[in-house]
Amino acid sequence: MTTQLAVDAVGVTKAFGQVRAVDDVTIQVAPGEVYGVLGPNGAGKTTFLRMLFGLIRPDAGTIRVFDKSWDTDGVGVLDGVAGFIESPGFYPYLTGRQNLEGLALLDGGARAGLVEEVLEVVDLTDRADRKVGGYSYGMRQRLGVAASLLREPRLLVLDEPANGLDPAGIRDMRALVKRLAASGLTVLLSSHNMDEVEEICDNVTIMNRGGVAYHGSITDLRAMAPDPGHLLHTNDNAGARALAADHPGVEVEPAEDGLTVVGQEAAVAAYVADVVRSGIVLRVFTPTRTPLEALFFMLTDQEVAA
Amino acid sequence: MTATSTLPTPAPVKAGTPGRPGLGATIRWELRKLRAQHRTKAVLLGALLGPVPIALVIHAQGRPPKDTLFGRYATTNGFALSLLILGFAAQWVLPLLTAVVAGDIFSSEDTHGTWKTVLTRSASRAQLFTAKTVTAVGFAVLTLLVLSASTIASSVLVGGHQALTGLGGQLIAPSTALKLVGASWLTTIPPTIGFACLAILLSVWSRSSAVGIAAPVVIGMVMQLVGAMGGVEALRPFLLTSPYEAWHGLLSAPRFTGPLVEGLITSGVWVAVTLAVSFALLRRRDITGG
Repeated sequence: MTTQLAVDAVGVTKAFGQVRAVDDVTIQVAPGEVYGVLGPNGAGKTTFLRMLFGLIRPDAGTIRVFDKSWDTDGVGVLDGVAGFIESPGFYPYLTGRQNLEGLALLDGGARAGLVEEVLEVVDLTDRADRKVGGYSYGMRQRLGVAASLLREPRLLVLDEPANGLDPAGIRDMRALVKRLAASGLTVLLSSHNMDEVEEICDNVTIMNRGGVAYHGSITDLRAMAPDPGHLLHTNDNAGARALAADHPGVEVEPAEDGLTVVGQEAAVAAYVADVVRSGIVLRVFTPTRTPLEALFFMLTDQEVAA
Repeated sequence: MTATSTLPTPAPVKAGTPGRPGLGATIRWELRKLRAQHRTKAVLLGALLGPVPIALVIHAQGRPPKDTLFGRYATTNGFALSLLILGFAAQWVLPLLTAVVAGDIFSSEDTHGTWKTVLTRSASRAQLFTAKTVTAVGFAVLTLLVLSASTIASSVLVGGHQALTGLGGQLIAPSTALKLVGASWLTTIPPTIGFACLAILLSVWSRSSAVGIAAPVVIGMVMQLVGAMGGVEALRPFLLTSPYEAWHGLLSAPRFTGPLVEGLITSGVWVAVTLAVSFALLRRRDITGG
């Protein structure tokens, strides 16, 4: 017996004029999985998610959601699916509650008390009767999650849910997504932030320029990651660099603000201890990128600062 | 989510399957949005109260506008006054009042970025299209009925309800005149629906409320101009403004209804073509933005 996939997208392609926004992308998400679609801006993540929701028609390939497709099932594909694309859109002249009640009408009605429940989940109960036109960006994002939960979905699709949020908002949004995932939801989440995906997701597809640059588990991705990088700034950068000759596991190169130090954690620690012992004063020693970030930049051909 | 916010632990999500909304539910949603908008109320209020000062001002004129249809009697007869206002309203007021909602009902989804919100629920594009169209057309007819009733009532109150002199010079008894004036206003329903559908097409095509609202008025005025030119008799039956003049036959002696039938057909063709093109555009559209 085969397991029905939550998302089974095979060879999906979409071009806008001469630009291939999504090029032969295959993504398969198992039920209960928290799956990340990662990529820089313009990688094709949002276009892919729009095709999943039927907002855009693919030029080639097939997308099946819980074994239903747009060609044969029409809007029935969205049974059990909810989410939002980019920032969620609402009617500014209606209150948060009115927006949710109206959207529930488009789902054939919500069971009694559900609107209150989802407002509570996203911590908007006390602001539900204010017009959405006065909501902050973060409140709209949370209302977007509430509108999605209103459908009591099996698959939650979130496109850059932490985009535009302040650090506390990002923390809370990630916590919310993790809690929802823990409750048994399948989550498909797009992001351009490696940390976010690493923290939340089990498996990931990294997209770049419309294509797939990596596909697999976060664990396997970590194994591929290069050594972490650090920025070192001292009162004698030339002297500190000269000490690197005694540490073959560490690469030290001049940088704009001091030195970049790349190597395994233990080797870098030994090198820095040596620098301190030699009487050189450390002014700055800070990580510039995590190993996964470095790998992400490599896979997506982006300039790396360190 | 602010630094002070504390999210409660959500209850385990019960995976369910959303139901399919009926057309009634989708229309209720459109009506709910319409009721919450100030301009909807402003249009209805304008249709209700606007005719009162207009009737008062025309009635107070020392010299009646004799060159206009029923203008000669507009200062002395309420029925003539309401017909004078009808002729004026048909030129641009009815297309404008109609387009305020019809020209915005689709493009406002682009303005607010809500296409992606409503199209990721359980309603199909066909359902949303039908609900929006029914709502826009319903609002256009409601506005027309309010404007008609208000105009006739205020004109009769201001100008009196004496017997009306018809277009053939015949004298029409007040009770008959009231029916004919009411019927004259009602004959503008088909072209008004036609203008509502034209506004819908422009709203869907342009994705701009400014175009959806203003363009039908401009197109209507151009049609009026073309219709008034000589040598375009063959073109006149196809103009959406021609049915606005069909009521003249009701006030003639003998009465004739040919233009009413022609107007009905013309309006019907405009409705069918504009709605077919609008739906095709919406159905095939890639929602890449809102």
